[in-house]
Formats: sequence, C-alpha cells, structure tokens
Amino acid sequence: MKTNFKNLMAGAAICAMSSTSLAAEELVIFWAEWDPANFLQELVNEYEEVSGVEVIVETTPWSDFQTKAFTEFNARGDAYDMIVGDSQWLGAASTGGHYVDLTEFFAEHNLAEVMAPATVKYYAEYPGNSGSYWAVPAEGDAVGWSYRKDWFEDPAEMAAFNEKYGYDLAPPATWAELLDIAEFFHRPDEDRYGVAIYTDNSYDAMVMGVENAIFSYGADLGDFETYEVDGYINSPAAVQALEDYKRLYGYTPPGWAKTFFVENNQAITEGLTAMSMNYFAFFPALLNEATNPHAAHTGFFANPAGPTGAQFAALGGQGISVVSYSDKQEESMKFLEWFISDDVQKRWAELGGYTAHAKTLESDEFRNATPYNEAFYQTMFKVKDFWAVPEFAELLTSANQRLYPFIVGNEGTAQETMDALAADWEATFKKYGRTE
Amino acid sequence: MAGIRTRQEVFFNRAAIAGVMVALFIMLVPIYWITSTAFKPRNLATTIPPTVIFTPEISPFVKLFTKRSQLRDPVSQEIYDAAPWWEQMVFDGGQKVVRSNKGVVRRSGYGQRFVNSLIIAITSTFLAVSMGTLTAYGFSRFKVKGEDDWMFFILSTRMLPPVVVAIPMFLMYRLVGLHDTHIGLIILYTAFNLSFSVWLMKGFIDEIPREYEEAALVDGYTRMQAFFKIVLPEAMTGIAATAVFCFITAWNEYAFALIMTNRRAQTAPPFIPSQIGSGLPDWTVIAAGTFLFLLPVAIFTFLLRNHLLRGMSFGAIRK
Amino acid sequence: MALSVIARLDPGSRAAKRGMSDLAIRNLFIIPTITFLIVFNIFPLLYSLGYSFTDFRASTNAPAKFVGLDNYKFLLNDEFIWRNFTITAKYVIISVTGQVIVGFGMAMLLNRDIPLKGLITTLLMLPMMLSMAVVGLFWKLLYDPSFGIINYGLGLGKFEWLADPDVALYAVALTDIWMWSPFVMLLSLAGLSAVPKHLYEAAEIDRAGSFYTFTRITLPLVAPILMIAIIFRTMEAFKTFDMAYILSSQPTTELIAIRLYKMAFLEWQTGQSSAFAYIVLIMVVAITNLYVKYLNKVKER
Repeated sequence: MKTNFKNLMAGAAICAMSSTSLAAEELVIFWAEWDPANFLQELVNEYEEVSGVEVIVETTPWSDFQTKAFTEFNARGDAYDMIVGDSQWLGAASTGGHYVDLTEFFAEHNLAEVMAPATVKYYAEYPGNSGSYWAVPAEGDAVGWSYRKDWFEDPAEMAAFNEKYGYDLAPPATWAELLDIAEFFHRPDEDRYGVAIYTDNSYDAMVMGVENAIFSYGADLGDFETYEVDGYINSPAAVQALEDYKRLYGYTPPGWAKTFFVENNQAITEGLTAMSMNYFAFFPALLNEATNPHAAHTGFFANPAGPTGAQFAALGGQGISVVSYSDKQEESMKFLEWFISDDVQKRWAELGGYTAHAKTLESDEFRNATPYNEAFYQTMFKVKDFWAVPEFAELLTSANQRLYPFIVGNEGTAQETMDALAADWEATFKKYGRTE
Repeated sequence: MAGIRTRQEVFFNRAAIAGVMVALFIMLVPIYWITSTAFKPRNLATTIPPTVIFTPEISPFVKLFTKRSQLRDPVSQEIYDAAPWWEQMVFDGGQKVVRSNKGVVRRSGYGQRFVNSLIIAITSTFLAVSMGTLTAYGFSRFKVKGEDDWMFFILSTRMLPPVVVAIPMFLMYRLVGLHDTHIGLIILYTAFNLSFSVWLMKGFIDEIPREYEEAALVDGYTRMQAFFKIVLPEAMTGIAATAVFCFITAWNEYAFALIMTNRRAQTAPPFIPSQIGSGLPDWTVIAAGTFLFLLPVAIFTFLLRNHLLRGMSFGAIRK
Repeated sequence: MALSVIARLDPGSRAAKRGMSDLAIRNLFIIPTITFLIVFNIFPLLYSLGYSFTDFRASTNAPAKFVGLDNYKFLLNDEFIWRNFTITAKYVIISVTGQVIVGFGMAMLLNRDIPLKGLITTLLMLPMMLSMAVVGLFWKLLYDPSFGIINYGLGLGKFEWLADPDVALYAVALTDIWMWSPFVMLLSLAGLSAVPKHLYEAAEIDRAGSFYTFTRITLPLVAPILMIAIIFRTMEAFKTFDMAYILSSQPTTELIAIRLYKMAFLEWQTGQSSAFAYIVLIMVVAITNLYVKYLNKVKER
C-alpha cells in the first residue's frame, strides 16, 4: 500500500513537471479579431525562432472582447498570459489587480522615451501622471478618414464645388470643409451619399465618433484630474461639436443608424459615400482590389481641425499587459523585452502593425509604406481618449443612452443632451467617491 | 375527409395545398440561403440580384478552419502558382494563410469549439437523461407527497432566464475554479436539461403498464431488476427522444457559454458570430460555420419527427 | 428540502420484500435530482439574493457594502429600465401574436388532406430546432439592406430593417415569428386533430356556415392547447437574449435580458444586477405558474 502510494506520488510529480515544462513553451496573447491580431501572430512566429517559445494570438470579435476579457479577469482565470487591452480598461484592470505592474520594466527599458508620448500616456499610465505603468504600447490607433479620390478629382465635380462653396475641392482641413463636402456629395437620387460616420450605440463606437468632433472643437469630456464634467462636456464648443456631428448624420446613407467599422468600410467598398470615418487599423482591407473594388481610388486623411484650429482625434489602439493570474509572468516579461526591441518594432510595422515605437513611427520608411501611414503618423501626435476610470463602462452606457436619441432619433437639443450627460456622469463619479 | 367531395371542398383543398407550399417556401428559404452561401465564392455571396446558380466550391470551409490574414497587395504569380489548391482559394479572397514558425498552417478556433460542443452536449445529455429517467420512474411508480409541487419545482428551474442564473453561478464558479472548464458547462446544461428530462420521461414511463413490472416482481425479480430489465427496454424510445431533445438544447445554448467559458471550454455558438470580426465580414465563412453547426440538428429533427410535439410541450400532449 | 422528502414518505407504500425496499429505491431515484437542482439552481439564487442588497462589484476587490433596498429603489425609478420593460412587453406582444396567427393559420391549412403531410410538417419544424444565436446571425445576412434577399424578394430597395431604430424591434420579432410559428402550429395541429369528427358532421347536417363551425366548434376545443402555446411562447419571448443580442443592439431593441446582461457582465454592477435579476425572476415565476396551471388542466382532459 505504501509503495503504491509512493509510486502514485512520483507519477503525479512527473506529470506535474512535464505539464509545467510543456506549458512554458506556450504563451497566449488575447486580442480582438481584426487584421492587426493576424499581423501580430505572424510577428510572434519569429519569437519562436529565437526563443523556442510558441506564442499564440487568441482572438474574439470586438463586440464581445470586453466581456470576454473581464469575465476572464474577474473569474481570475489563467487562460491568457498577456492581453492587448483597450486603453480605457487601464483603470479597471489595474485597480482590480488584473494587470501586473510594469513600472519597473518601463524604467529599465526607458519606455517612456522609446514609445511615442501619446501612446505612453493613454495606453500605459494609470492614474494619469502617476508614473505607474501597466502596459507596453503595442498597437497605436486612432480615428482617421478614407475618401474617394476619383470623386474628389473629377474636374466636373471640382468646378461645381468651387462655384458653390468658393474654394477648391480637396480632402478637408477643417470640420467646416468636411461638412461642406459631405453636403456636396450627398445625392440620394444618385445613390451617392456624403459621409459615413459611427452611430453604433454599443460599447464605444458612436462615442468615439462624437469624440472626434468634441476634441477638434477644442472641448474636453471633463477634467481627468478632478473629475469635473460640468462646463466641459456641456461647454458651448462641445455642444457645437455634437450639433455638427448630428448634421453629418444627415449626409449619411439611408438608415445609417447602427454603424461601426464594418459598415464604414463597406461604405467605401460599395461606392456609397465620398468619405468614411474609421480606425486606421481597418484600412488594410481598403487597399486590396480583392476586397475593395475602388482600392485604386481610395485616399486617406487625418481628422480635420475644428473652428479654433485645434486638431485632435479619438484614440483607439492598445497596449500589451501581463495578466496577473498567469503562471508564466516571467516568460511573458521576456517576450515583452523582445517585442520592444528596435528591430522587432520595425518588423511589426512592416507586417502591418501600427507600432507605437517613436523611432519607427518617425522613419520615412514607415510613413511611406502605405497610403494612410502618413495620416496615421500625423494623428498619433494629437490624440485624446475616453475616461480610463474603473467605472468607464457605466460612463459609456450613459453616453450612449443620451447621445444616441439626439443624433439618430432627433430627440431634444444638443444643449439638453450634453447637460443630461454631464448630470449622469457627475452622479456616477459621486457614486464612486471621486467628487464630493 | 372521406365521402363525397363537393366542388367547394376540392377547391378549398387545392387552396390549402397552395398555401402550405407558400408557407413551406418561406420557412425554408432562409435555411436554403445560408446553406447555399456556405458553398459560394466570396464575391458571389453579396451580389444584387442574389446569385442562385453558381459553381459550388469549398473555399468557405477551407477558410473556416484556417487562420488568415488580410493582404494589402495581391501575391506574386510565382507564389500563387506554387501554393496548393486550397491556399490559392484563400489568395483569391485577398488573404493569406497564417503559418506557424515551422510552416504549419494555423487553424482557426472552429474545430476545437466544435469538439467542445460535442463533449459538453453529449456528457450533459447523458447525465440529464439518466438522472431524469430514474427520477421520472420514482415519481411515476411511487407515491410522493406533494408530487405536483415537486414537479412544479422541477419545471420552474428550467424557466429561469440564463442571465439571472449566470450572475451567482459566475461568482460560485470563480470560488471553486470551475470557470472556463468543460465540467462547469456540463453541470449547467445538466441542471438546465434535467427538469425537462424528468417531465418528458415521466410521461413515457406512465404509459408503460404497471402490470409488466408486477408480473416480474411475482416472478422473483427485485424492484431494481424489474426496472432495469423490464421498464428501461420498454422506455427506450422515450429515452432516445428525450436524449435528442436534451442534446439539441445543450448544443444550441449561447448565453451560458458566452459568460461562463472563455478560451478552453467555449462551444461553437459564441464562436460563429466571431467570424464577423475584421474589416469586412466574409459571409461565406460565417455561412460555412453555421451550416456545419446546423447539420446535426437538422438530422436529429428528422429522427425526432414523431416525438416533436411531445417534447415541445414537456410531455403534456401525447400523440 | 431534500430531507423533507424522506420525512414525508408514505409508510404505507408497497415495499418489496426482496432487495432494496421501494422506499429506498424511490429516495435513491428522486433525491439526487432534487438535490442537484437545489444546489445548482436554488442555492445560487439565494446567494445572489444576499448580494442584491449590497453595492458589490465582482470586478474589484472592495468588500460589499450593505445598502438595503437602494438597488431596488434605483431600478424601479430608472427611466431607462422602464423603457427596457416597455420594449420587452411590446416585443412579446408582437412576436407572440404573430406566431399565433401564422402558426394557427398553417395548422388550419395542414389539417386537411395534404399529400406528403408528414414530410412537410417535419420540414416546417426545422427553424425552431435551430440555435437562436445562429439564427440571429444569419438573419443579419438576410436583412442586409444592400444585398439581403428579403429586400430583394419583397422589392423593398434599401429598406433598413435593423439600422432603423423604429423598425429594428419588428425585425427581431419577425425572426422570432419565423422561428417559432411552427411551435404554435404543432400544438394547434394536435388540438385540431383531437376535435371529434362527428361534431363537424353534425354541423354540416345543420348547414352551419364555416364561420360558425370555426368559432363555435374549432376554436373552443383548440383553445386550451393554444393557450399553452401562448403562455409558453410568452415566457420564452420574455427571456429572449441571444437572438436579439446578436441581431441588433439598438436601444429600441434592448430587452430586459440584454440590459441585465450588460449591467452584470459589462458594467460589473453585481449587486444592482442581482436586484434586477430578482425583479425579472418574480415576473418569470408568475408566468410559469400560469403555464403549469394550464398544463395540468390540459393533461386532465
């Protein structure tokens, strides 16, 4: 009996050992299902060559990326070793203890300098200006615009446009021009429309779209230090921005009331609209003739400036964090060390990833690699983001509940909408003791 | 409707047949459409007017099982020619197959999810039907005080909305480490199907004459032996029907799978919508995933056809 | 609870002399199931009842604070939650009415001498056996404004089924009607075939009109079974989550189950969502009660 027991223990020990040694050869990174995740999979194949560790990029659709990530975090699961998480998750994931503190890693590799400043600020640091870092900026992203070059460069259109508006038709440099051009090309009887914007009220889709206007109009969502929102989100500039966003909605194709990246790309591929708002990361599909019949005639521009000359864009993109429940944190750190090296970042950009690596971003090679990289480069130095506090999901819910009926349902005025939203957000911040 | 037919009757009958045909057409078109889309090349999936006649191809299934990445520029002719036929199909769609470092083609998660679905649905069905049959026998053959109340209690557990149950179950599974495990989902589906299986099996067992067992008991069988040797064989049809119903329920379940599982134990239903994911959805791949997923259910529906009514009414209506 | 079964055993039941007693077998057969259901259905609910009085969030490590009835008060006073209830009520009414009309209509048609009746009935059943989530997904393809076959088939041009906030709920209900009309049809058929033939013959001899026959003979006799179908579908429609969640995420289609899911698993307001779950639960139990009453009534016939 006793020897039996001993054998059993030995067997169990061997099993345990072999399973850990097996496990060490595999790292799992969790991300949303989109092209950059496939590019990352190609990139990490090269890590296997160097280290023998196989890295798997596991994906889930955007629509349930947040749920999947947070059910796993909150269940304290170790299915994923690293996660390429959204910027607004930082607060929830760091205060909830889901992310490993990377402050030391940051200092050791001087990442605050190596990565572009905006990406460090929004993808890595929480709370703002605290000097605590939770993620390595991986995929820079922001909202940009694609447009139909052939429509814009048609001599007849150019002449007609100049006659009507008194200046030359070109990719818009300001929101006022954007509105003019959208109006100009909006011809429902020809089945041609002005513009495609985000209107999906789930998660952060429509909010990101509206943010593009709010930020460029020189307004802010609130004070990220004091959590004051009254006078920010309902300031005259923000109200004007919302009103103009609603005006843009008037130049969208019929029933453009529930749209996000897929629909906005389709607006271009199906030849519906002159311009379309989208994250840069979704632009690769617009370059290939197989997926976009108008690929040769598709151009790109950065989010235009507002009336005061301020020019910002809503931030997308993510940083890689190490999950604190993973039992392979050391391996993950080693991987991150490899990931941030100059060569790998360069390779990452070549494969199609939007590196946050300042040196690579600034290189001519990167800026000329695709028709939209230049616009991307310009945008990444003027981005702003949503609240990254742990209760961001509730803030998004209120924003969707207030903004959507105004933009799509034509309910109330812009001022009423923003006042109501300010009140909602104030109540939420009060509930969590951020303000008195 | 035997007997002499009036002209009017004949007319009504013809009208009814026409009506049934229209209804059948409307009910089946969506299913036909998803099936045919699963065999279309990508550029024919979203045409106007819809493409009805086309050369079927299996590229959607190739894509369904592989991990692919968007190409910004088409590949060169040499690479294209050197690639195997199935990889060329992926190139045609403007994508390339993602390979591992050693050149092994990376598979999408679909295969694993499908296997998970099978494991979880089969195990939970086995548990729910075996426990349900025993309990049904207990309620059918023995006096239980407050039988109706117990049966109501059993039924009511089935009626709970999944999300309502998911909130506390999530917290409990977190405590005991059952989150994202096969066992966790098996338990949930067993609990969900158990009530159904008790109700349905009770009806089937009620129909087996008690005299069969009485005779066996007189012949010297124990009650246990009588149950296993007499009642079970008699109830086999009922058990099979119940099992198929339980299997379909577990196979189709979405909400629990979405919330309670993640990478390791996730079943197919939450995975199929994920194909909508990147820049532009490839409907042929979604259709292929849907088609494979619906196939077993369609087959089972035919096997079940004589018991559908009974199953859908929790055994209340027999035919 | 499980123990009370034993206590309530009827000592007069027939106990076999050989092997296990009937009593033991009965307990062996019944108690595990009851225990299983209590542990995995009732116990979790009691667990969350406790949380419904706290501000607990499963996403933080902060301890739960007792807040009394605040969660319930907040929920019942929140205009958006009431909107969710209104939407759900509207959805249930549209989709169940549609299913009864279509399903009963199909049953009336099928309740005649139709060739290949068995095969046709089976084919008609197919939709309701499918996964709600997957049905929601592929109806998205059918509803697509530019290339969907529904718009093409009906000649509706670019009609926005899912994107138009005012139409989306009807679109979801229409999918539900497609999926579940066969269920109503199946039950109605059973009811129709149970109507004794001689009643019709008698009506014919009396030269009763077909309208009279329908309202005085068919309908009253089918009514109880139809009622079962209606209550069952009401209950299921009330719980709808998957299909609506995948098909549309308009605010105008945010059914209670979807709102509950978002509150619990996106916002992680665990305490508040537990309270919400209880409000929903009470409603479901009420409908279930009705359902079971009817089931028993029909069974007695």
